[in-house]
Amino acid sequence: MTNTEQPLIQALRQRNPEAFTQVFNQYSDKIYRLAIGLLNNEDEAEGIVQETFMRLIEHIDQFEGRSQIGTWLYRVAYNLCIDHLRKQQPNLTLAEEHENSAKLPQPVILTNWHQPPEKLLASEEIMTQLDKAIESLSPTLRAVFILREIEGLSTAETAQILNLTPGTVKVRLHRARLQLREQLAAYFAEQTA
Amino acid sequence: MNCEQLLQYLSDYIDQNLDEDLSAEAQEHLATCPNCRVVLDTTQKTISLFRKQGKRVIPAHRRQRLFSQLQNAFQQK
Repeated sequence: MTNTEQPLIQALRQRNPEAFTQVFNQYSDKIYRLAIGLLNNEDEAEGIVQETFMRLIEHIDQFEGRSQIGTWLYRVAYNLCIDHLRKQQPNLTLAEEHENSAKLPQPVILTNWHQPPEKLLASEEIMTQLDKAIESLSPTLRAVFILREIEGLSTAETAQILNLTPGTVKVRLHRARLQLREQLAAYFAEQTA
Repeated sequence: MNCEQLLQYLSDYIDQNLDEDLSAEAQEHLATCPNCRVVLDTTQKTISLFRKQGKRVIPAHRRQRLFSQLQNAFQQK
């Protein structure tokens, strides 16, 4: 257990409402982003956030502190999302094809594009394009990309959450970046031509 | 370094994880290969877009509902 989290865990065990508010404020959006990235459904993502925090509430007295609260919450949320996806897709596999080979997705669209102006970045159309691009990734690539690029976690933290080796996290991040580049290239090259 | 090798090392190059020699080889290749420069540039833009725009938050009505339910459950346990 890290020293910095000991007082917080103690306060949670004592049912201190401010401690719960602190953890909820710190992690609920992060868990939601992971869940909506994996499930692409607001109701289901809300359900994952709820179930993840319920697990924390139920297990706080047994929380051993071998990992940080955030890492633990992410791991619970990820496993809940995968269980959810497996119910929808019984044949879901968590191994990536060609993972151990040098074969990478080859760049096809080689047109440069300009980043849209700041005021257009948050437009619904661009957000839809980003969502579509993320959706095109397999859940395993998606999880790595969200944790590393959007949440800003380290390779080691991401590996711990997803139960992968750091090397596998790096390979999946690389593949995810290349696939997303290809997905966005077609759209933005046309938009900013 | 050729295009295939550059592609292999692209993420490490972007993340500045290459050693000095490989980084120099990558730069040398990029200086002479417009296609690889485009791939590098558009990959960096892709990452930047997701970093800027990927931080969505729970919609307010969902957040309020979730917090109330969980706060109640927390205090009743």
